[in-house]
Amino acid sequence: MDLSLETRHEDGHTIIEVGGEIDVYTAPKLRDKITELVGNGDYHLVIDMEKVDFLDSTGLGVLVGGLKKVRAHDGSMRLICNQERLLKIFRITGLAKVFAIHSSQADALSER
Amino acid sequence: MLPGVRPRAIGTATGVTVSIARDPALVRTVRLVAAAVARSASFDEEFVEEVRLAVGEACALLVGSATAAGTGASTATGPVEVRMDLDERLRVVVSASGSVAVGDPPTSDIDGVEPWALLRGLIEDFSISVDTSATVLSMSWPVG
Repeated sequence: MDLSLETRHEDGHTIIEVGGEIDVYTAPKLRDKITELVGNGDYHLVIDMEKVDFLDSTGLGVLVGGLKKVRAHDGSMRLICNQERLLKIFRITGLAKVFAIHSSQADALSER
Repeated sequence: MLPGVRPRAIGTATGVTVSIARDPALVRTVRLVAAAVARSASFDEEFVEEVRLAVGEACALLVGSATAAGTGASTATGPVEVRMDLDERLRVVVSASGSVAVGDPPTSDIDGVEPWALLRGLIEDFSISVDTSATVLSMSWPVG
């Protein structure tokens, strides 16, 4: 399985639905997508990770890099993640406190 | 068989060694093997997931060390070898020639995330041995 990225706009946010495995091989694709969106002026991103099967530190690094990019434009990055195995990785690395992690797209989009 | 993957059975029923070229695309193959070995030791999917993540992470770090161009962090060439042995513990040794920086080079893609911290946080028994010629990551879990 590779990495799938589907992007759509909703309610002033750009939602990236990520599927598959975010690792040392595929993470650059996500990084490039985030860079492209920020370059197009999309500064409020929602990364939906519900269909992500695997996440390693390279993937975390891309998310942190993306957060820095949008914040440089007073933007935001919200994550959607319900999977305990992924949430554990955010906790171990201390990134659970850095990212706004939501349980659903509705939850992520409703926060102001 | 995938190019660059050289599965090699050891002489015992409980040992598996996988040697891959330093290609990030091949790290997933190692994760699959690690998960299979872990699953043969335990039906606990949380354990299997932890082994899959840890072995993949260790492997990615050594594979990535050769591709972190410009960091000066690596003198790496040659394959990355992952050896998994199962007795009263699952022991995994990931090794490669060349020394890697035990920390993030400021220019790396990892961008603010300390990968070694993930491994240390994930595994109780984890050690790194780095010298001028090789890097060896060792980890183990109790089984049974």
